[in-house]
Amino acid sequence: MSLTRRQALKSAAAVAASGFAKPAIAANEPIRVGYLPALTGPSSSTGIGITRGAELAVKEINDAGGVNGRMIELVTRDTQSDPTKAVNAAAELVNQQHVDVIFGPLNSGESLAVVPQLARMKMPQMHPCWVDSLTDPKKYPMCFRDAPTNQQIGGAANRYVVKVLNKKKVAVISDTTGYGTASVNAYVPMLKSMGAEVVYQGNIDAANPDLKPELLRMQSAGAEAIMPWSVNAGFLSRIINTRGDMGWDVPIVGQTTLGSGQTQALLENAEYWAKVYPNNFRSCCFDAHGKLPERTTAFVERLQKAKIDMGDTLLWWIALGYDGPRMVADAVKNGGGTKPEELVAYWNHLKNFPGVYGDISFTPDQHNGYPDDEVVMCKANSLKGGAFNLAPGYSA
Amino acid sequence: MAISIVLSGVAIGCIYALIGITYNVMFSASRVFSFTAGTLGMLGGVLGSLFIARIGMPFAAGFLLALAGGAVLGIVTEIVAVRPVLKRLDQHLYVLSTLALALMVQQFTAIKWGTDARPFPRLFDLARGGFDQQFWLPMVACAAVIVGLELLYRRTLIGRAFVAIAEDTYAARALGLPERSLRMTSFALAGLIGALAGFAGGEMLLAFFGNAPLLTFYGFIPVALGGMGNNRGAVVAGLLLGLFQQTANFLVGGIFASVAVFTVFIVVLLVHPEGLVGATLQRRV
Repeated sequence: MSLTRRQALKSAAAVAASGFAKPAIAANEPIRVGYLPALTGPSSSTGIGITRGAELAVKEINDAGGVNGRMIELVTRDTQSDPTKAVNAAAELVNQQHVDVIFGPLNSGESLAVVPQLARMKMPQMHPCWVDSLTDPKKYPMCFRDAPTNQQIGGAANRYVVKVLNKKKVAVISDTTGYGTASVNAYVPMLKSMGAEVVYQGNIDAANPDLKPELLRMQSAGAEAIMPWSVNAGFLSRIINTRGDMGWDVPIVGQTTLGSGQTQALLENAEYWAKVYPNNFRSCCFDAHGKLPERTTAFVERLQKAKIDMGDTLLWWIALGYDGPRMVADAVKNGGGTKPEELVAYWNHLKNFPGVYGDISFTPDQHNGYPDDEVVMCKANSLKGGAFNLAPGYSA
Repeated sequence: MAISIVLSGVAIGCIYALIGITYNVMFSASRVFSFTAGTLGMLGGVLGSLFIARIGMPFAAGFLLALAGGAVLGIVTEIVAVRPVLKRLDQHLYVLSTLALALMVQQFTAIKWGTDARPFPRLFDLARGGFDQQFWLPMVACAAVIVGLELLYRRTLIGRAFVAIAEDTYAARALGLPERSLRMTSFALAGLIGALAGFAGGEMLLAFFGNAPLLTFYGFIPVALGGMGNNRGAVVAGLLLGLFQQTANFLVGGIFASVAVFTVFIVVLLVHPEGLVGATLQRRV
């Protein structure tokens, strides 16, 4: 059988295309991590804090020689706090940038739009968003969460009120947003199952300029603790200010925004911030002796060495960002490569990944990796260098 | 408890009444209900906080500049959103271009000022107590505006010209009154009153871009109940609204308070379509 010139050229082209050189290129080509932070817009404070950690992790990994010789490349797209832009950015990262994995989006509103989209595109995804429905191993088998769920957040607050503060009569309120009303609906039955009596329950218009009638109703109902669920600093500060003006010595326990700088700026009196206990994370809180956990202390030293500012953000945001690229690097190093099925197979059996934010574990049926006991409450008026003191009552 | 309801109810009612007057002043001069009224209130709070708290200006300078900002927006409303429409139509009750302008200003504020509520500075170094300045400031502002407008309309030539335009535009124009200048001055005056409402209520409402729709809606109720163009009616209805809202907040609480307010509003308008204080418009034949 004779070989024509055309056949010979075809064969040569086929060999070149299938490529003897390809393994060498793959071994050196960067691990492309699509990253979807909100760097502008209303959710940007979180995004900026998390990004400081993510960029530090990438720099440390690459300075140490990368992962099996491969550098990590963070392909960042600012979602501008807009779910529509997040969806477009995710599509671009997958279809045009050909990233290997996506870290983000970093807030639930955007993730609600992006998670189903990435599931359809069969793209491995790690996100830190709290809304419960944002992981589902059946619907979204490639999506993992390295942060707590709303159930864990509410559960920690409820445990603190009922078991630590020993308050049995509770007022649970929220603003009228989807997050607020869903939180009240989820947490009230949880409180009741723990033996607490919910003496007041309501959804309040966050724009209401005077909340005194609401707090008077709670007081006359016999509330021993107020649990507001809202991310609206104006609404939360009005609750704290009204409690202060009334001279009512009742603890306020709830969402992390209670401890934010925006809430602090709206307080009429700095003393009103006492006995306010927002959610936080044990890994990023000072214990009774004023010390951070060992792993976090080492991390803070690295942050200081890298001259990363912690004063205008929160330590747990930076820690969370730091863990994201490291989890990708860990999966590539120990899971065999960057193919979607390799990453997912590795994460599906991840056990106690030593994150600064928390030890993360997944199973094929459980893609929520954050441990319950790491979610704690802290003292709102104790912010120092991005971290808070644990609320009173927790053992060291 | 009753004192608390009355104090905050009257204070909030005064803010609503001032926004109602803002609607009315613009309406009297142009027969247009400008949706920028609530935006002017929002801007008064934001500009007050910007000039005094952020830039660190003295109270008097910050106050005057906030009012000037409101007046400028009033004039811009007239030039950009009202005049071009009135050129084509002599009378047009609701001009949607004013709604568009209001939304633009609101979004611009959200972008430049931020979407979080920010603190409004405490203006006088007085001790806090039951009758706090966050309550009496809106009351003083409301009283000052009522007295000021009465004096303007009854004692000054320009005030009488405003009344003439409001009573009968055609006749006033026929008599040689400069309708356009008077309309623009009215819008500047309305801007000033709206900004004063937001400034006086700044401690209660905070410096927040989201106050614009709140004040637009709640400020419109006194106008509808008090009769269009009727300032006295707006004041009475505004105070009643504030008191009723705070009572509902206490009695039923939560979002049901808003439902109660709007239920009463609808029922009153069904029974008295011309408003509680307004008179039925007589058509000249």
